[in-house]
Amino acid sequence: MCQNPNEHKLNPSHFEGSTEEKQTAQEVEGGFAAYTQGMKFFDPHVHMTSRTTDDYQALADAGVVAIIEPAFWLGQPRTGLASFKDYFASLVGWERFRSSQFGIKHYCTIGLNSREANNEALAEEVMEILPLFLQKEGVVGVGEIGFDDQTAAEEKYYRAQLELAKEMGLPVQVHTPHRDKKKGTERSMAIALEHGLAPHMVVIDHNNEETVKSVLDQGFYAAFTIYPFTKMGNERMVEIVKQYGSERIMVNSAADWGISDPLAIPKTAALMKIKGISDADIQKVTYQNALDSFAQSGQINEKDFIDGLEIDQSLKFNGNTVLRGGQAPRIDKNSIFIR
Amino acid sequence: MNTAELLYQSIQSLASTTELAWLEDKLIADSKGLSLAFVMAPRQVAKTRVGIIPGWNWQNGTLDQLVRVYLLIHLAEKEDGKSRIETLFDTAEMNELVALYRALPVLPTPEIWLHRATDAVRSNMGPVFDAIAFGNPYPTTYFSELAWNQLVLKCIFNDKPIHLIEGLDERANQALANTLADFAHERWAAGRRVPSQVWRLIRNFQTETKEQDIKRLAESADPNDQKAAELILENSPLEAWRVLEKEETAY
Repeated sequence: MCQNPNEHKLNPSHFEGSTEEKQTAQEVEGGFAAYTQGMKFFDPHVHMTSRTTDDYQALADAGVVAIIEPAFWLGQPRTGLASFKDYFASLVGWERFRSSQFGIKHYCTIGLNSREANNEALAEEVMEILPLFLQKEGVVGVGEIGFDDQTAAEEKYYRAQLELAKEMGLPVQVHTPHRDKKKGTERSMAIALEHGLAPHMVVIDHNNEETVKSVLDQGFYAAFTIYPFTKMGNERMVEIVKQYGSERIMVNSAADWGISDPLAIPKTAALMKIKGISDADIQKVTYQNALDSFAQSGQINEKDFIDGLEIDQSLKFNGNTVLRGGQAPRIDKNSIFIR
Repeated sequence: MNTAELLYQSIQSLASTTELAWLEDKLIADSKGLSLAFVMAPRQVAKTRVGIIPGWNWQNGTLDQLVRVYLLIHLAEKEDGKSRIETLFDTAEMNELVALYRALPVLPTPEIWLHRATDAVRSNMGPVFDAIAFGNPYPTTYFSELAWNQLVLKCIFNDKPIHLIEGLDERANQALANTLADFAHERWAAGRRVPSQVWRLIRNFQTETKEQDIKRLAESADPNDQKAAELILENSPLEAWRVLEKEETAY
């Protein structure tokens, strides 16, 4: 939920990047894999619902072993409860299965996004069904929730969902607003603390140079969304890691229906490597911190994916693998023959 | 002993004291509590491997799944049990769907869930399709011929092993034989094939192309296809087809 239809720019975003950044990014894009050999990545924010199987294939090839898909704004408003219900169900069902076909472990966070919190009648209905989804297997948090326009309705449902998270002992994934970001971020943190959430249970997302210090100082996790062209450029990300280290910092792609890049994490890891960041620090910001923060849900078991996706034995019947959904998931993209 | 008692016996032997206490507590809950317990089960009960339970054919199941089925049996007996279970279907994640479809044949009135069962055949989630298709007595007992034929055809279409379908040979029929022959021709035209054991569903029926098809199988370079042709020509008993009960590539 990263683009704003009210800003009529070619690529609206959280951040503006420089031409120089764009140039470096394009250079790395050509051969980033050479720098990330043997690395494994955990993307804690990617909207696979909006992506194709080519993206899943590319993620798997680039070393992404696990992902978290937060519930978000689908780009146009939903008009009824049923479409929320079906969307949440797809996050824990269909999308999880699609991901498994490419050997990627799929988790999700469930929440009422800030934009649609402004439709109060519908928001009330959505709040009714949220607990049912939050208790499900593989749901690792409440998210992404927070502020967009920073209205009273947004605040009301942000608070209500913080209470749900507290009650259920789940981490929270907080979307910070595009406009008036610094104030919105401070407000989001203050409210979380007011509701008694431990800062280590809260991941503040879409940070930039202006917000990161306060987020870390107060003990929250700080997530950074790397977007091509316009969001957090990955050169700036490298500078942030140089300045603040790797404690409680994580990067994500937030790839969605807008112009975005699901490979943002491996590419950023490559750039960090080029710029001399240590392998240990790269591992923390591109894998470990995401894992540690969301594993607090009790729903993530690293051995399910670290050595390749372990096929759940219950998905076998009489010794036959029954994971296939009708086609061989891997095809040779370079072949001119399509069979 | 009925299925519920059988399940409970297995649960008791596998569950820890804490897990059992949690279950006992939930069993006395109202229908809403039972629904939520169904959802929460894997957070409270481990995925302990369950061995073979006599009278229950869910092999390779796990304890949390067994608990889910047991909770469903109790939920189905409640006054608003049906609408609660409908909601569970509508909001289910993948493992929940598997438990729901596995539970259908042991619920008090299995026939009322026919619309859900045929939905599972339409599912593109592999484990969900498999939950209704394989080792589950529901389709053979309750499916119409049309629904049954869809199940078998989709199974072959998705390159899954048909011999895991209960009642496979008993429910073979002329319409299915015609469809499968057509399907095999389509595959041949595309340079693909159907697993050789598919021909066991055609052996007792006359299709328009049966003679040419058997000839083609007999002349095939694939030893499995040759075997299928031989079995049909020699009018071998069903037992002899067991050698072809394996996964085969479609290319």
